[in-house]
Amino acid sequence: MAKTKEKEPRRPFNLKQELKLAPGYIIILLWVIFTIVLLGWVFCASFSTTAEIFQGKALKFETGLHFENYAKAWNGSGVAGFFGNSLLYSVVSCVALILVCAPAAYVLSRFDFIANKFIQTSFVSAMGVPAIMVVLPLFSIISGMGILNNIPLAKGTLILLYVGINVPYTTIFLLTFFSNISKTYEEAAAIDGCPPMKTFWKIMFPMAQSGIVTVTIFNFINIWNEYFLSLIFASSDKLKPVAPGLYGMINSMKYTGDWAGMFAAVIIVFLPTFILYVFLSEKIIGGVTGGIKG
Amino acid sequence: MKKNKTMIVVFLTPAVLLFLGIFLYPILKTILMSFFKIEGVTDAMNLWSFVGLDNYVKLINTSLFRTACYNLFRIWFFGGLIVMSLSLLFAAILTSGIRGKKFFRAIIYMPNIVSAVALATMWLQYVYSPRFGLLKSFFEALHLEGLAKIQWLDNEHKFMALLLAYCFGMVGYHMLIWLSGIERISPEYYEAATIDGANKLEQFRYMTLPLLKGVFKTNITMWSVSSVGFFVWSQLFSNVTADTQTITPYVYMYMQIFGGGNTVTERNSGLGAAIGVLLSLCVVLVFTVCNKLIKDDDLEF
Repeated sequence: MAKTKEKEPRRPFNLKQELKLAPGYIIILLWVIFTIVLLGWVFCASFSTTAEIFQGKALKFETGLHFENYAKAWNGSGVAGFFGNSLLYSVVSCVALILVCAPAAYVLSRFDFIANKFIQTSFVSAMGVPAIMVVLPLFSIISGMGILNNIPLAKGTLILLYVGINVPYTTIFLLTFFSNISKTYEEAAAIDGCPPMKTFWKIMFPMAQSGIVTVTIFNFINIWNEYFLSLIFASSDKLKPVAPGLYGMINSMKYTGDWAGMFAAVIIVFLPTFILYVFLSEKIIGGVTGGIKG
Repeated sequence: MKKNKTMIVVFLTPAVLLFLGIFLYPILKTILMSFFKIEGVTDAMNLWSFVGLDNYVKLINTSLFRTACYNLFRIWFFGGLIVMSLSLLFAAILTSGIRGKKFFRAIIYMPNIVSAVALATMWLQYVYSPRFGLLKSFFEALHLEGLAKIQWLDNEHKFMALLLAYCFGMVGYHMLIWLSGIERISPEYYEAATIDGANKLEQFRYMTLPLLKGVFKTNITMWSVSSVGFFVWSQLFSNVTADTQTITPYVYMYMQIFGGGNTVTERNSGLGAAIGVLLSLCVVLVFTVCNKLIKDDDLEF
């Protein structure tokens, strides 16, 4: 819907009409400028020094650009490890989520069977369940089995958790997507003698590509930024992803007093999702409301 | 048909198994746990002792938990007012025909894709900083010394600081929901209204708003679901483990069960489970009330 609107031809500049919209422009611009100043200042401060930040000269770069803030945060404060963990968790979970949810969503969108409506309703309700409702029993099982002391096993378990938590959202998102693809493709494939499972992987899965990409971006951002579960389950530094890792670092930075290094760490955590957003903002924005209202 | 049956089973099994293991089983067990006194989270079921509704009674009688609930309510209610009105205002402005709509929309939504820890740190360490903060320099530049001197992070102002920073991050998401609703309304309605002589404000008040009732419901539900899990922001904004200005039920639960510290009065996972059940009931309550009050089927568009 949004697309048809935006294809309108550019209207010629008309001062009187633009003036009428002035209050709107002012409000939006103030907000946007604030956002840019907030991010821009932190970005600049991350190349400055703590002394300059305290003198209020973070934007002047009198002593040049200090890339060593990044080097310090990356190596000294262990951001490298957190970053690697987050990358591993997000990428593996995103792939697993598609392999698990795309077939399920397809089946739910195409076939009538007794449990179909029931499964759909359960998944939709699960999206509104607070994480606190599932954390205690899961922690009891996982920590009872001693998994959290074995690093590779614990990483696998964390990935399983991230995947499981996002199954309802991913399935429902893809379900609406598959429902919008015409059935004639499968009928044609069936006439040509293609078995239904092969039809799915060879024809339907590639056709759903744009929905799969969108939902994967969302899953990546969600898992990258996930905090509550990670804090509880990834207690050791070797397991921590960026969000709880950054929290621990900020707490210790308060004592070491390295503000420039702290802002550098903030930017490192912020960059991956931000870069994704710079290139894919249209797709992300289009997908936000697609996930809620089918 | 036979073939379809195997396909249905094969394709659904992994997703359903994960759902059973990570949602259904833990939810049922949490509900059960809330009626028991459980010393350690990992205790086997034979070590649990049944206490009926005791956990709930105990929670309601704990003043720190009541404070946590009061804070959550303040966040939900005042934050809701701020976020709903700002996001609706922005959505209205963006659809009023201003230039650069896509760019503005992208910037306003951006805080939502940033890690909450990173965003909260930017606010805490930069905007509210008493030494080089944005607010301090801004008010100093305007020669408003009184405002510049405000310690945003002291006990008196901390809650407001937390609420503003949180709302800043949430506006973009709710704005997108409003936008999708406004864009669904047919432009013909507006053309007709313009011909009949209604100005933009009247059109907004008498056409757009009533047509957005269903979207409003979606927005309130989403807002409630996300504010119930209020955790990161309050953890970052508090210096001590039990900060009465910022504590929320999630933080209280985390403190009781996973965090150490001297605030833990009693080791009992049943209490944590009961908090979960209470919060879920709140979400269900908001959802039901919204559905009762707002019927979106009486208007077709």
